[in-house]
Amino acid sequence: MSHEYLFELLVEEIPAWMLPHPGLRDGLAQLCKAELGIDPATSVTIGATPRRIFFRLSGLPAKQPDRQLEVKGPPIRAAFDDKGEPTQALLGFLRKNNATMEHVVRGEQYVTVERTVEGRAIAEILAERIPAIVAGLRWPKMMRWGRGEHAFIRPVHSIVSIFDGKPVAMEMFGVRSSNVTTGHRVLAPQPIEVSSYDDYLSRLRAAGVVALEAERERAMRDRCRELAKQVGGTPREDASIWEQWRYLTEQPGIVLSSFREEFLSIPEEVLITVMRVHQKQLPIIKKDGSLSNSYLSVMDNSADLDGNAAHGNSFVTNARFADAKFFHDTDRKRSLESRVDDLSHLQFQEKLGDYRLKTERIVAIAAAICKATKHDDRDVLHAARLCKTDLMTDMVKEFTELQGQVGGIYARQEGLSEPVWQAIYDHYKPVAADDPLPRGAEGAIVSLADRIDTLVGFFHIGARPTGSKDPFALRRAAQGFVQILLNNANWEIAIGPEQLVDIATDIHGAGNVAKGDLLDFLAERVRTILESEPWSFAYDEIAAAMDARWADSLTDLTARIAALRSIRNEPGFLSILDSAKRIANIVASATPGAVVASRLEHPTELRLHALSTLVSEQIAELAAAKEYRAALESFAGMAPELEKFFVDVMVMVDDPTVRDNRMALLQSVGKAAGAIADVTKVVVDRRELRSR
Amino acid sequence: MDQLTFQKLILSLQNFWAEKGCIIECPLDLEVGAGTMHPATFLRVLGPEPWNVGYVQPSRRPADGRYGDNPFRLYKHYQFQVILKPSPLEIQEMYLDSLRAIGLDLTKHDIRFEEDNWESPTLGAWGVGWQVLLDGMEISQFTYFQQAGGIDLAPMSGEITYGLERLTMFLSRKGSVYDIEWGGGFEYGKIRQQEEYEFSKFYFEEADVAMHWKLFDMYEAESKRLLALESPLVLPAYDFTLKCSHMFNTLDARGAISVTERVGVIKRVRDLAVGCANAFLAARRKLGFPLLSEDARTKFFDEESRAAAR
Repeated sequence: MSHEYLFELLVEEIPAWMLPHPGLRDGLAQLCKAELGIDPATSVTIGATPRRIFFRLSGLPAKQPDRQLEVKGPPIRAAFDDKGEPTQALLGFLRKNNATMEHVVRGEQYVTVERTVEGRAIAEILAERIPAIVAGLRWPKMMRWGRGEHAFIRPVHSIVSIFDGKPVAMEMFGVRSSNVTTGHRVLAPQPIEVSSYDDYLSRLRAAGVVALEAERERAMRDRCRELAKQVGGTPREDASIWEQWRYLTEQPGIVLSSFREEFLSIPEEVLITVMRVHQKQLPIIKKDGSLSNSYLSVMDNSADLDGNAAHGNSFVTNARFADAKFFHDTDRKRSLESRVDDLSHLQFQEKLGDYRLKTERIVAIAAAICKATKHDDRDVLHAARLCKTDLMTDMVKEFTELQGQVGGIYARQEGLSEPVWQAIYDHYKPVAADDPLPRGAEGAIVSLADRIDTLVGFFHIGARPTGSKDPFALRRAAQGFVQILLNNANWEIAIGPEQLVDIATDIHGAGNVAKGDLLDFLAERVRTILESEPWSFAYDEIAAAMDARWADSLTDLTARIAALRSIRNEPGFLSILDSAKRIANIVASATPGAVVASRLEHPTELRLHALSTLVSEQIAELAAAKEYRAALESFAGMAPELEKFFVDVMVMVDDPTVRDNRMALLQSVGKAAGAIADVTKVVVDRRELRSR
Repeated sequence: MDQLTFQKLILSLQNFWAEKGCIIECPLDLEVGAGTMHPATFLRVLGPEPWNVGYVQPSRRPADGRYGDNPFRLYKHYQFQVILKPSPLEIQEMYLDSLRAIGLDLTKHDIRFEEDNWESPTLGAWGVGWQVLLDGMEISQFTYFQQAGGIDLAPMSGEITYGLERLTMFLSRKGSVYDIEWGGGFEYGKIRQQEEYEFSKFYFEEADVAMHWKLFDMYEAESKRLLALESPLVLPAYDFTLKCSHMFNTLDARGAISVTERVGVIKRVRDLAVGCANAFLAARRKLGFPLLSEDARTKFFDEESRAAAR
């Protein structure tokens, strides 16, 4: 019963970051479930090297099970003539369905045929479906080669396709399948015949290829630890290096090399970035936590007998570091302060001026933030003034991803205080959603000032993002802006988005044209962030609380959402929600004014009015003390009285003054918690209401 | 292996690729930033004609000048450029054979093809491919051209570019480019260091900005004029495009082009390159694509008229 299928596509080197291709796993899983009748979780094994994509399907049946097929035919009166003999219509139907009279079943109205359809051979299905799955894979950057007839990630060389060792013929990219692959590109480039998955793995191994990535990674990790130990250290932890290395070679090889010790005078951040990002190398950390001048590189050859790889890697790294040292030494000849004026040579944006102007705006905005939040402004303004100066250094011109960090390092070397150098160092943070925030409030303020200056500037000149186009990365700027304003862990910058927009708009001299658009844009980011980890609020809670002046304070917003979340499923609150929605419907088309107490007549409405006045005062007090949960409880406390009102009092009476006054009363009740959230935006699960 | 010299490397590569059926072209006699800009690459990759060529191209990158001080960086370096069109399926193997031909025992080295795509905004061209790393050092660029002058290509060309100084330096285990032997017992530095110094000084400090802008405008106007003739003079127009491109590089190294201007100037050069590419293709068509075999030409025009009929 148990059969095996093996497939391999041999291609030219696929970029490591594109492996493994998720579409292949999905396509095969779909095929297993829909047509092969096997469980993909236990039957599919997928692997890849830079040159190979392969998979095995195990536990396959030889053919699909036979199926009982019922086909509806002509109506009975059309199927048989007066004498009960089959008509041409019936005979034609039988012919078409490859059936005879013995398959015919007479139903009440129609004739049907029932017959057994033999299941198709699995090999036949594979021959048909595998090419569609593999050739149908979409890659980030497809290419053509040769005559240009086919598109794939890289040119395709050969295909292995065998079912229990026997070929399952197929053709794609102009290549016919066989049972032959080849070994390692330079170590064993001969053709290899394979008969099964195990045979494939072992023959490839003999031909210099460790086919499974997990096995390559294990071997490389072991070797890294071993080599690092030789120089008294351990490999630096680095997930992104391993993601790349496992798909960079067919043979797992690691080489230890070293750079000249004099380069250890270059800041560690620079050395590590150059090794990791530019050279894809793994630094070694010594026992005392310092950086070793030895490091590890991947190679597609397990042995470096003549020391060529060690020589080559040192050569390249030394060359890079010679450049970096030159930049470092040259840069250090001038202070950051002396570069402030140079910033006028660097354009930020045509209509928004150069970086000297941007710096002036950042300083002014940062000063306004300090004033508004009563934060000491000395260190903040010092950092703000210098934060962009590293853009004028050779180091950042060469290694742009080190912007901020380089300025921070140079500031530290110049002996500036910790809050100042850290603020410069951190002011691009957070770069991505999972990136840490600036370490201190000073860095956070400079970051906010820089971001809101950019956002207001671009919105004002009409260069806001549209669809997928965001050439100035404004979404990312806004994302970080929101993340900083949401923070209240070790520091909090107690200012709201709207006030920040106003400050920056004022400093840009921009007028308020784009304010609404920018706030909408920021609101969108707030919603997205609060819906995702670690907040994970529901969209309706967010919408309800945002309705109450979200742009005044984001930390306050999250406190209000949290209160709403904690109370939303409690019976008393569900009841007031229901009433609030009813009120919203009643007053939807009207514009009631203030309640005129003297016109209230019914005892129930008098009681409700008294209660609502009391509750409103209570809510205002609790909200001022940020006791949002208690405020919402107080609001919910009106539910019984309100329900009684709906029973006892008729709102839509003929007398317009009475009617309007009652609507005004209802409105004042419905809006009592309006400063915390627009509760009518909370979606209530009807089943929950009924089950009460 | 014997001590590898700069010229031995050039001769080995020329011989190797000549034996593989390549025409050995000569360097373009104009300032260019890369072998790709030679008409033998940029224009010949267009259209249906087959084309196999190899040549040395001195490549000027003014901004990379280091006054002859930096052991790894040069304002001008030499490339060996190979174009195989259509790209044969065994092109990578041919490339590895060329390394064996210069004396490398690949089983004793680490050789890898790591993703590195290529894009030239000034030429409206892009391709995908790799940098070839030998023992961790980039020694070649390997590119499958997908588009040139804004035109989708078919058949596709495979481009191999060897960095000749780097390769010599590495294989002869020299720590500085200036220490490699060019040939005849002369070091590269003895022959080129003065030039590196003078041109670095020129590009960074002396180049007359106003004159270069003026030349840029004049070259651009001439290129446009030649393309606008009733029978366009494509190859002269392309020469002037390359001159524009070099003016751009010079002004850029001189720090005379602001970030915002940059985009606009690049577009001006690209517009010329795109114009040349289209005009070149039209001119070749008019000539009946002479490099196609008789059969291939008939087939090409048949297929095209059938496609047009549809």
